[in-house]
Amino acid sequence: MAVSLWRTTTCILKRSVSLASVRYGHGPPSKQVDIHKGKVLSDEVGLPDSLGHSVGIERYELLANQAGDDDPFEMKVVKRAKGTFEEPTIIKSVNNKRMIGCICEEDALTINWMYVHKGEPKRCECGYWFKLEELHPKTYE
Amino acid sequence: MRQPFHLVEFSPWPLLISFSIFSMPIGLISYMRSSNISLLILGLITTAIISFLWWRDVVRESTYQGFHNKLVMKGLKIGIMLFILSEVCFFFAFFWAYFHSSLAPSVEIGAHWPPTGIYTLEAFQVPLLNTSVLLLSGVSITWVHHSIEEGNYKSAMQGLFITILLGLYFLLLQYGEYSETMFSISDGIYGSCFFMATGFHGTHVAVGATFLIVCFFRLKNFHFNKNHHVGFLAAAWYWHFVDVVWLFLYVSIYWWGSFQNSLNN
Repeated sequence: MAVSLWRTTTCILKRSVSLASVRYGHGPPSKQVDIHKGKVLSDEVGLPDSLGHSVGIERYELLANQAGDDDPFEMKVVKRAKGTFEEPTIIKSVNNKRMIGCICEEDALTINWMYVHKGEPKRCECGYWFKLEELHPKTYE
Repeated sequence: MRQPFHLVEFSPWPLLISFSIFSMPIGLISYMRSSNISLLILGLITTAIISFLWWRDVVRESTYQGFHNKLVMKGLKIGIMLFILSEVCFFFAFFWAYFHSSLAPSVEIGAHWPPTGIYTLEAFQVPLLNTSVLLLSGVSITWVHHSIEEGNYKSAMQGLFITILLGLYFLLLQYGEYSETMFSISDGIYGSCFFMATGFHGTHVAVGATFLIVCFFRLKNFHFNKNHHVGFLAAAWYWHFVDVVWLFLYVSIYWWGSFQNSLNN
């Protein structure tokens, strides 16, 4: 409690007086790749395309899209595999557990929510099996 | 952090700006009740400064830190649209007041509109010029948008410069019109409705022009690219909104509202 209070207070005070810094709490800002370095405005060189001067998570998403990954943040619904014990639906996560929702049948009006833990295949009450596997975050250059 | 949401950091601005915004209505009341304008001025200045610093932070988060990915951009656009919708409701109220008073004019004002003794502004003189100025600025801002999407820096800068000039010219013309009116905001229903509606429209033009000026400098410093220019989009949508409000003001207050006078002439 004291720590978070201290952190909040100092952050807020620092922000009000600091005029030339950027804030970061999730690790340092990503390195800026400046592919426009050395270019000067001319008749051929105008505004960049979106990859041109993007940085950070925005750039990651664009590079992932370019590499053929249209869902770099794992936001889409995972399609159920066969779902038996031998061939469970594979759920990927960078963490030790992930919350999933099983749509037990096509016409189901409710979703059954549960956690799958690493190393423990889990069976939904409807019978389908799920298994958590390590997700290795991809980096794009 | 592999997620597409922008989790914002600690910021002093929401709390600070709530104080400065609160001091504006209090300052306005104190100005009207005791002719003391200092708190109003203080509130306006601090609100302007904090807005500048807050938006500076947003620019840093988007342009320099890359936190505005596709999902965040979508959220921002929906936010702008909802804001503009709330502005539509805001102006709807003033039009309601105007039509309430003008469609069934009460006996106290002579049972006709404009009220007895009110000489309205000539709709086909400066107000018509104002209409064409704003419509022209709507064209030039579209020119800017196309230029940005094509990556044509020079053309975008030229178009934006012209748009800003047209906006400022509109404000100048409105100032001239205001100094020629023979009614005031406090002397009757006509002046109250007129100045409330056109006055709020004028402040919105000023805000929109400021927004465009910010976009001008961001464009100058290459903050925008062909596909990611939400700040400019917001300014353009806002500008079009202000433009449309003027068309309604012109048609209903300046033009239709002066029919009686023009018949008498």
